[in-house]
Amino acid sequence: MKRRDFLKGIAATSTGIAISSGMGPMLSSAHAAGKEDFGEVKSVKVHCISETSWFDNATLGNDIKEAGGINTNQYDVAYTKDNLGGYAALIEIEALDGKKTKYLLDSGWNTEWMDYVFAKDGVDKMLKSKEINTIFISHDHIDHYFGIESTLKHQPDITMYFPGTSMKKSFELLKGADFSKTPGCPKNSVPHTGKLIVTETNKLYKVQDGLALVFFDAPATLQCRGENVLYAKIKDKGYITITGCCHPGILTLINHAKRNFKDGDKNYGLYGGLHISVFENWDPKFDDLITGMKTYNLSKIACHHCTGWIWAEKALAAGLPIVKGTDNYKSYSKVGTLAKANTSKLYIGNGDSVLFG
Amino acid sequence: MQPVAANWLSERNLVSRWSVVVSGLVNAVVVLALAVTIWWLLFAVEGVFKLYTPLLGFAIMIWTLLILLWQTELLDFWPVKRNFLQRSHGITKGLTLTAICLLGLVVLVFGVVYSLIGRYGITYFNWNSLAAFGQLGQDPTTSRETASWALIALSVPFFWMTVTTMVGLRDDLWPGLNSPRSGFANLLWITVVSIPLFCIFFHPHLGSMFYPAQVYTAVPPWWKAIAQTNSAEFNMGWIFCIVVVTFYTIHLWSGRPWSLVDKQPWRFLFVLAGSFILGVAMFKLELGVMDYFWDEAYVGGQNEANFGWRYGHTTTMATFILVPAIMLNYLFSKAFERMGRVARGSLLSLISVGIGLLFAWAYYQAAPLLLGVNRGVSHPSENPTVFLLLVINLLVIQYNFFDGWPGYRLKK
Repeated sequence: MKRRDFLKGIAATSTGIAISSGMGPMLSSAHAAGKEDFGEVKSVKVHCISETSWFDNATLGNDIKEAGGINTNQYDVAYTKDNLGGYAALIEIEALDGKKTKYLLDSGWNTEWMDYVFAKDGVDKMLKSKEINTIFISHDHIDHYFGIESTLKHQPDITMYFPGTSMKKSFELLKGADFSKTPGCPKNSVPHTGKLIVTETNKLYKVQDGLALVFFDAPATLQCRGENVLYAKIKDKGYITITGCCHPGILTLINHAKRNFKDGDKNYGLYGGLHISVFENWDPKFDDLITGMKTYNLSKIACHHCTGWIWAEKALAAGLPIVKGTDNYKSYSKVGTLAKANTSKLYIGNGDSVLFG
Repeated sequence: MQPVAANWLSERNLVSRWSVVVSGLVNAVVVLALAVTIWWLLFAVEGVFKLYTPLLGFAIMIWTLLILLWQTELLDFWPVKRNFLQRSHGITKGLTLTAICLLGLVVLVFGVVYSLIGRYGITYFNWNSLAAFGQLGQDPTTSRETASWALIALSVPFFWMTVTTMVGLRDDLWPGLNSPRSGFANLLWITVVSIPLFCIFFHPHLGSMFYPAQVYTAVPPWWKAIAQTNSAEFNMGWIFCIVVVTFYTIHLWSGRPWSLVDKQPWRFLFVLAGSFILGVAMFKLELGVMDYFWDEAYVGGQNEANFGWRYGHTTTMATFILVPAIMLNYLFSKAFERMGRVARGSLLSLISVGIGLLFAWAYYQAAPLLLGVNRGVSHPSENPTVFLLLVINLLVIQYNFFDGWPGYRLKK
């Protein structure tokens, strides 16, 4: 079988699907014989609350290096506190009947920053009023989870999807632990009291019609593992993925949809970090990803955060539909030091929104 | 012309202190225990020096092995005199020769390549130069990994040419020349050939590690259409497979089939072509095994779905088998002495593959606890080859420098 044929001409059996998704989940037992059909939505709007997880790459890189490198336990690194931001997104799903539901993806890192960006976008009020009553924690990495107190202080009983492979300390944090003795490490004085859905491999979690969550047990840095990924199927358009960091790899996610979901070959777009040139570094492998992405005919690539602006710029030059950002990020109290981030609107930034549908 | 002296390794005779099995097992336990101890001292993220970044640790281990090979196989233990080798206790000898190896590592790799060339010639060999001149993305963590990758890449053609010279040429290029002159002459020959190979097989990758790609100093990766990746892990994979397969023939088959041809240039050509065929066959076989278990990789795939990672992983797979192969030769070979060459080679190969697979399984199960590494096979910042190279280095040091102490001793 030719490599490309394997992916492109796929009509995989459930066994093939399970193996070929690599570290990815198999079909849920309820749909083992066929492809998943979790319905459709009219549109999805994703608002970037914050994609600046830290403000200076070199400072974070140095903190991690001093602690022992990227394999160090993330709770053992002394971070430069002034450098910390966080990642969070507000997802608004418009159902086929027009009803809109809001969800929170991730809760960032530095609680001061997260309190600020939540207030700026009114997320704090949405949490208090339960306009948002569900949060998806994509993974328990520093910048996506350490700021959990900023969410729980407004709604301790929020429903939460949480990766089953999270570190022991991350589960403890949820219950109200304090690790702040180490600079930049978190504390949570508001224990979570709501429904906790600890996600597992091999299961698809249908959140509502047209929106599902799949957990991928993929390796990541700083001793983390696993990532929850959202899939939405937009009527007449196809699937989008919404990710925190995309540690399983974007093509793994797209192929997962292709192999496991009804009409899975209709890929419409994506939102989120793609975990490529995170630290403005480059590797020839990242060029492969541009080549690979071009074969999937996506219509909207709203990438940012750990994607790295270099990849976005190269992908744009190669003809990929990168969604450009605006000047909104300049209105925030803090802006990253990335050379380009200050001057370009290359990709979605803080305060920007993207509509799929 | 003076007669060429036999090298020390072929002259010396080691005898086991106890039964071969007990001596071998004792030595294996000593090496593995020492490897874990050194790991926690030098490499582990919660250890003392934290050099497993992971590429810095890889660079140090691969260059240490290369220098050990030069020291023992090319330079015949120079600068130590034969008298010292014959008369000193294994421990004295071992400590002295290990110190010389480490000195060689510091001088050659961190002196000549890192400090001299990296500071005054090629930026990517020195992380401080990268940080100073590279600017974009060259923070302390990234630049250290980039420079370490460059050092690893440089070692690959040197390894290839070293084993090809060891097996295919010996001292035949310089008939009549005694050690260390013949060894230095061979080193010069290896360097002359390896540098162009590095420029062709690895420099294009390094030139592409920056933005914009440094196309005026390095052509874009030309192997993309063949390998379906821009990464030079492709070249690293097949070249290291050649190297490892040649080591299999040395340790498991007593140098067969190469020893069947003695006349030059046929022996050299036989080794060059034969090891290429065997190495590429093993490379393809390993890729086939990965395809079987993980299905085929695809362009832009992540982790085990990535072509580059798979090419690099062929080295890891091959090295898992090389460790027991070396152990069998160094520690237990006397137990198989009475067997015929073919039967012996076949049996040792089977045992090596079996133990190698078991070792790989045990590594992935136990290493997170024993070595403090991350769980999983295709973790982006893990590379088991580093630990495997540490074990190999210790085996080579124990056998060649310490005369196999404690399980073996030199027969005077």
